[in-house]
Amino acid sequence: MTQNVSVDDETARQFLEGMLRIDIFEEETKERFGEGEIPGFVHLSGGHEGSHIGMGAAMGDDDWLAVGGARLIGQYIAKGVPLPDIMAELYGRVGGSNKGHGGQMHVSDIGRKLYGHAATIGSGQNPAVGLALAEEIQETDNVAVTTIGDGGTSRGSFHTALVFAAYWDLPVVFVIENNEWAISTPAESLSPDHLSDYGIPHKMATESIDGSDVEAVYHTVSEAIERARNGGGPTVIESRVARLVPHFEGDKETYRDTDEYERLKEEKDPIENYRERLLERDIVTETGIEDMIANIETEVKEAVEFARESPEPEPEAAYDHVYRTPLYGQGENQ
Amino acid sequence: MATETEPQTDRETESLTLVQAVQDGLRTEMERDEDVLVMGEDVGKNGGVFRATEGLYDQFGEERVIDTPLAESGIVGTAIGMAAYGLRPVAEMQFMGFIYPAFDQIVSHAARLRTRSRGRFTCPLVVRAPYGGGIRAPEHHSESTEAMFVHQPGLKVVVPSTPADTKGLLTSAIRDPDPVLFLEPKLIYRAFREDVPVDSYEVPLGEAAVRREGSDVSVFTWGAMTRPTLEAADNLADEVDVEVVDLRTLSPLDDDTILDSFKKTGRAAVVHEAPKTGGLAGEITATIQEEALLYQEAPIERITGFDTPFPLYALEDYYLPEAARIEDGIRRAAGF
Ligand SMILES: Cc1ncc(C[n+]2csc(CCOP(=O)(O)OP(=O)(O)O)c2C)c(N)n1
Repeated sequence: MTQNVSVDDETARQFLEGMLRIDIFEEETKERFGEGEIPGFVHLSGGHEGSHIGMGAAMGDDDWLAVGGARLIGQYIAKGVPLPDIMAELYGRVGGSNKGHGGQMHVSDIGRKLYGHAATIGSGQNPAVGLALAEEIQETDNVAVTTIGDGGTSRGSFHTALVFAAYWDLPVVFVIENNEWAISTPAESLSPDHLSDYGIPHKMATESIDGSDVEAVYHTVSEAIERARNGGGPTVIESRVARLVPHFEGDKETYRDTDEYERLKEEKDPIENYRERLLERDIVTETGIEDMIANIETEVKEAVEFARESPEPEPEAAYDHVYRTPLYGQGENQ
Repeated sequence: MATETEPQTDRETESLTLVQAVQDGLRTEMERDEDVLVMGEDVGKNGGVFRATEGLYDQFGEERVIDTPLAESGIVGTAIGMAAYGLRPVAEMQFMGFIYPAFDQIVSHAARLRTRSRGRFTCPLVVRAPYGGGIRAPEHHSESTEAMFVHQPGLKVVVPSTPADTKGLLTSAIRDPDPVLFLEPKLIYRAFREDVPVDSYEVPLGEAAVRREGSDVSVFTWGAMTRPTLEAADNLADEVDVEVVDLRTLSPLDDDTILDSFKKTGRAAVVHEAPKTGGLAGEITATIQEEALLYQEAPIERITGFDTPFPLYALEDYYLPEAARIEDGIRRAAGF
């Protein structure tokens, strides 16, 4: 039995399209990484696509997203960063969002209010609180949404962010993407029934939802943002998803139970489930989906072309932006 | 407990990479001493993201190979408590760049427990961390911030450059009564193999190793920079007779070996991956000038990473000193 569709047809199609965009972009990324074109590390978002797209759709352009966890590419896409900017960054090329100095883990985009990841898991919630406090001081009604994995919630910095957000009752929405694993560390061993319970002692609104359902995420994050915009303070949301991919490409995942893994792939694939749901209600047709896929494949191909043609940064560029105004010869030891 | 101090030539050996020598060192110490245990993120069932603890979980079980939640302050802080109690924990940081949350614990507790309690409490802790460049990821995944830790009295800092030293130094670090930061150069985790004695042995902390004798210029280095430095020395063999000293322990520095070498050559270069400003090359230079100024014949060359955050991908090749850059520096020191 499939669930109802609770958004209008156009929105529903956009949700499906958004999730497919992440999936197709990442499949290509995986291949390019396998071919050695993309160096460094690659962490993919498989299983998180619904959580990313539902959250992105709930946000206004003027709301901040301070990204965390390791499933980052889907979040960049959900916040509207153009695919060529992301792909070129993955390639470490000057055409990338960070001019090739960030790579897969550090995409940021000030214009789109995407506050990038520092690579230290569980450290991004504190700056998110600061962004929200700044918005409040400026008397806007903008909100800061911040994501974190289940693993990151063990860090003191995350709990301190909760204290600060509650202290000033700030417009922050904490989205914990609980995919059950921090590499091989099982979230099952953490004691709260739901990781959103971490908000309870701070008297925050808390929700635990099926994060593989794009609509559930969309509605829950929308409500939390609405509350925050209207002075109702922070919310902690646990978005329960399945990690349907290795931690990073190359992780053999020997710590996972194969039967359970197969079950999750069957039951918790946000894209497959949503596709069936929309087909069943004639909101999309098979050919409609094929067209969507073909268009996205073209976009992704163009992003790869752009990345390949974009040059690598000049070595001296490493000195640019370490300081705006280097003092007393700082940065002159080339 | 009786301990052997140097590997003997007639011993049974096994050809290991540096990362395998880490595993071997942990395993032999865990077999020898029940108080030794390993803890950290993904070290148990998963065997560690660099495979440094592979097989230990199966051999010693979950009580001695402890998977922890993701929180470096928690990992090191907990290990400090266990060490203060009398156990011998070896805590892994997945990357040196993720040690910052634990910095407070290392500085405020581990390094000062002994002095603050006037010796009543001790902290026989080892914190292991893969460090330095080599995997083409920026910042935290590649940086080397050893100077921040060398600056902390009460802490020892050790960096091996060969598999045999890795096992011997790790053994000494585990047996040491004080906290030791054990930095593993990930650039050479799997770069080459070496015969490593199968049984357990110590390579003493605080003793540098002269890797190549020479009379013209002394080059001081450690970790992954030792190999390109030796390569540079070989390339220059017709022009300059280079002595290469692998410091192995960065805190405390082996001043005697440094000064003996310098007094012989009167010229020196220091090679490290870390940025130049505030890096250890400055400390080594100052030590030489305090103790051997009148032997000095040329400015001391600092051949280092640059004063930028560790860069991404292709720029790594520029950032890390390699043989050609080291040769240039040595030539300058020799030709002044
Ligand atoms: C402070 C810190 N420690 C360790 C790491 C290495 N690391 C990268 S991702 C990861 C697991 C993250 O798990 P989680 O927060 O649940 O996010 P997920 O991978 O599930 O998206 C670890 C341990 C890191 N990046 N930062």
